[in-house]
Amino acid sequence: MSLLEVDAIDTYYGDAHTLFGVSLRVEQHEVVALLGRNGAGKTTALKTIMGVIAPRRGAIRFAGEPIQGLPPYKIARRGVQLVPDERRIIGGLTVEENLVLAGLTAAERWSLERIYAMFPRLQERRRQRGRELSGGEQQMLAIARALVREPRLILLDEPFEGLAPLIVQDLLGVCRTLAQEGRTIVIVEQNVHAALALAQRCYILNNGHLVYEGTPAGLRAEGELMHRLLGV
Amino acid sequence: MLVAMGLTIIFGALGVVNFAHGSFYALGAYAGVVAYERTGSFVAAMAAGALSLLLVGILVERVLIRLYYNRPKEDQILVTFGAAIVLVETLRALFGGLAQRLPVPSWGEGAVNLGATFYPTYRVQVLGIVACALVILYLVLYRTRLGLIVRAGIEDQLMVNILGINVTRTFLTVFGLGAMSAGFAGVINGPIVTVTPDMGADVLVQSFVVIVIGGVGSFWGALVGGLIAGEILSLTAMIAPAYSQVMLFAAMALVLILRPQGLFGVQGRQ
Amino acid sequence: MSGATRSARDPRALLPELAVAIGLLLLPFILPHLGGTIDLAQRILDWGLFGLGFDILFGFTGLLAFGQAAFFGAGGFVAAYLLTAPYTDNALLALVAGTVVAAALGTVIGLLSLRRAGIYFAMLTLAFGEMGYFLDISPLAAWTGGENGIAGVPTPRLALGPWALDLATPMATYWLLAVLFFLGFWLAHRIIGSPFGLVLRAIRDNEARASAVGHDVQKYKLAAFVIAAAYAGLAGGLLGLLQGYMPPDAFYLDTSGQLVVQTVIGGAGTLIGPLVGATVWLYLYTVLQTVVNLGSLGKLLLGLIFVVLVTVLRGGICGGVVLLWHRLRRAPAPVEPPIAAPAAAPAGPADAMPVRQRAACDGPIVLRAEGLTKRYSGLVAVDGVAFELAEGEIRAVIGPNGAGKSTFFNMLASVIPASTGEVHFRGERITGLDVARVCQRGLAKSFQINQLFTTLTVRDNVLIAALARYGGRFTPAMLRDVHGIAALAALTDETLAAVQLADRAGTKVAALAYGEKRRLEIGIALATRPSVLLLDEPMAGMSPIERADTVRLLKRIAQGISIVIVEHDMDVIFELADRITVLYNGRKIAEGTPEAIQADPQVRAAYLGSPVDHELA
Repeated sequence: MSLLEVDAIDTYYGDAHTLFGVSLRVEQHEVVALLGRNGAGKTTALKTIMGVIAPRRGAIRFAGEPIQGLPPYKIARRGVQLVPDERRIIGGLTVEENLVLAGLTAAERWSLERIYAMFPRLQERRRQRGRELSGGEQQMLAIARALVREPRLILLDEPFEGLAPLIVQDLLGVCRTLAQEGRTIVIVEQNVHAALALAQRCYILNNGHLVYEGTPAGLRAEGELMHRLLGV
Repeated sequence: MLVAMGLTIIFGALGVVNFAHGSFYALGAYAGVVAYERTGSFVAAMAAGALSLLLVGILVERVLIRLYYNRPKEDQILVTFGAAIVLVETLRALFGGLAQRLPVPSWGEGAVNLGATFYPTYRVQVLGIVACALVILYLVLYRTRLGLIVRAGIEDQLMVNILGINVTRTFLTVFGLGAMSAGFAGVINGPIVTVTPDMGADVLVQSFVVIVIGGVGSFWGALVGGLIAGEILSLTAMIAPAYSQVMLFAAMALVLILRPQGLFGVQGRQ
Repeated sequence: MSGATRSARDPRALLPELAVAIGLLLLPFILPHLGGTIDLAQRILDWGLFGLGFDILFGFTGLLAFGQAAFFGAGGFVAAYLLTAPYTDNALLALVAGTVVAAALGTVIGLLSLRRAGIYFAMLTLAFGEMGYFLDISPLAAWTGGENGIAGVPTPRLALGPWALDLATPMATYWLLAVLFFLGFWLAHRIIGSPFGLVLRAIRDNEARASAVGHDVQKYKLAAFVIAAAYAGLAGGLLGLLQGYMPPDAFYLDTSGQLVVQTVIGGAGTLIGPLVGATVWLYLYTVLQTVVNLGSLGKLLLGLIFVVLVTVLRGGICGGVVLLWHRLRRAPAPVEPPIAAPAAAPAGPADAMPVRQRAACDGPIVLRAEGLTKRYSGLVAVDGVAFELAEGEIRAVIGPNGAGKSTFFNMLASVIPASTGEVHFRGERITGLDVARVCQRGLAKSFQINQLFTTLTVRDNVLIAALARYGGRFTPAMLRDVHGIAALAALTDETLAAVQLADRAGTKVAALAYGEKRRLEIGIALATRPSVLLLDEPMAGMSPIERADTVRLLKRIAQGISIVIVEHDMDVIFELADRITVLYNGRKIAEGTPEAIQADPQVRAAYLGSPVDHELA
């Protein structure tokens, strides 16, 4: 049984049809990349899994249990966490408060020491307000915040967007560590090479349809396909 | 000022403009009157005012407000305005329109010598009580889990939801607390102002002025706004008493035009 | 009341006026049998008149004002003062004076209050209303009688030139009120059905879009506000006359609140809603008072009715009647739009994908941007982008996520201001102009998320845009019938045909399929007769069939218009675009023909991430 099964979901924003019968699965301990140009529906897919939007058709199962239609907080309590593409750090709270907030309703949670051990820069800034952090630091906080709840599935939405290459390297390192620890991750990224470097499997969305399923190696081998679906 | 605090938190956290807040104030005063008549204890009256409104607030949220989170703001104004009418008229039906008496408690009688003038003891005590209440409110907001959730929720409700927190349950609590602060204010103001069913209307309008000046959704804003409003009233009362209320509204209009988010306003993500 | 597409000449258009006239004639004869009095009838009409203006403001323009008492009181006290001072014994003159003063006050308060919107506007009007009350009670008490009001207002004497008429009996005063209400209703009805009125309704439905198609929204709102104030002033003056006494409670918050409650109970947006609501309120009060002696419960009951109506039947009593009517006629209620219905493409030559030659792109430059930059605190979203669009060209703007495409696009369209840089349209500098002015010059935009006028028909949606083109930023035409203007109708029909919605012209927006809504979205922009059209992700949310239809549509309309399109669908872009501009991290990194862009290594790196940067050990 896959940890996450997305079964032919159709998602609408109002009456704009954004996902058309999309199916995918994620096994435990896997890192899966969800690729596609922007507008393809990748963020919509993650939001649907997290319960931010309910799919109009289809089903989503997490550890065998259906979760489509549940509110986000219930899905979070089952062990799914989303790191949204706008990061959405609570600017008015301090770094430490952001982390504490994340752990409030968690059955098991990371201690602050453990978080700071993994993200020393956050410890330096623990009393600073979220809005005072740089883009890279905010992204780090967003990922750290997601980890606090000891999630079984992490959904990363464009973690490297808008960040300087050095910061991206740092974050890649963090993600690699998480992957090596055996965490299950779905990563949505436009930076295809970074995503493929992390993932064991990948999917490609185009205009709301799922058009490719395979492995990074397989995708790299089909260079033209890659350029057609992901490039220009 | 306490009333304004409750209002600004409700609006900031829930995004709901509560036109019924004045009626909560009135309800609190009446609950206090009833409790005092039954028990003769002012403390009991204070407790009654606060707790009854906690219940009423939770009830109103559960039954009514909850239906309106996704409706346009105008509709929220309309329904809370209507709820206010219902509450006030219920009070009028139960108690009649004549003023009720909530006497100054025994420990508040007399006057205090403040150097230049004598000032009624009770009013000084009220200042003290309000200050305490504000401190408690501050502690709740900044030192408790609930307060953390409320402050986060004011900024980004959805993210709080994603972090596993049942925001709807929090709404209930927030609305209840906001109502409670209004009810408590109603009781302690009872001995100072006349207790009538309509006592909430003026307070509501003044609360709007306070939160507009101070900024919506901000604790400090309501505080500073309240101080400024109080100052305007006192100063103009000395200079040109006929215009004192008018000046308050002129100040509100000025702020709304020049700096609509108020002095300390928080721009939340709706 | 006036969504119908009938010309003013059609006698059926006068049906509402006829119904009102009949009602007014019969009321004083029916009411006594139901326990009412002439006095009650007078008050009902007075509130109805008060409500006509308010409904124009609230029901039709969507502005919830809580301070109408200020104008009601102002008009009333001016009229009463003039009659009791006495400066005149002509009631008509006094009423006119009161109305004018109220309108002037409305202009001042409107200018101040309308600087903010929504709840802040409501709170501002509330504050000004209260200010009116406190001014009346204290500083101006010498003129207004303070808490006592003005007593001894004489029975109305109407003088017009050589003729004078004394209205000695209550019935006579009733007829005065009836005539004034009828006239007020006729005027309000004309206003709503006029071009001016259509724009008001557009503002209510989607203010941002009304502005985007070229209307000066602030002027319209102010005009509506002043109209409401004038009606209020007239009603206030009449109150003094029919009571013989002008009470200070005309200024109460309660009065403003009662107006709002009555309007919502009766039904906002119907013109007679306030009258119906006033009937319910005042009648219920009277009945409860005299019959059951429970007068004090009247307001409680009304409050409960109000809360229930707002929650479940927002259209009030009139709205409920309309729903019932639909159900009884078994007319299909507004339905769920059909899922993914393909465009009603007529079979024939239009069906085949039009072949479009790539434009030469060597014509005059119609849209030019220099050094366009947008900075948010700490973040540079768009950095010094230069851009030139040739006449007749179709240009696509693409780029990976976060490239700054939407920001750049919104700066071109004047939706957001640029931090630095200039935008020129046909040689004229348009940087910093508001979006309505820019649209008037011929630069129109269609939105990624549909911005339609949701309660109106397809025809009216397009008509609103055409009206901006035809009438400019503000049209004071309040008495013409908007559907009777030939030039406008022609423009509208042309546009509807161009987007293939001619057969859906009478349908309300809510009943359209998504693809149809998208076409309407483009149609609205098209109706402003732009020379440059900016399309923001026109394919958003479309199924493959709808995409193909839209591409066809765009190729057709591209004759004679220059287009800039932001899109992600590469197939569509390659079909349509003459040239492509690529943005990455806020900068332009490439520009050229689709083939050139496809082969550009920098573009590839931008989209896929350069392997060099992210090699892992």
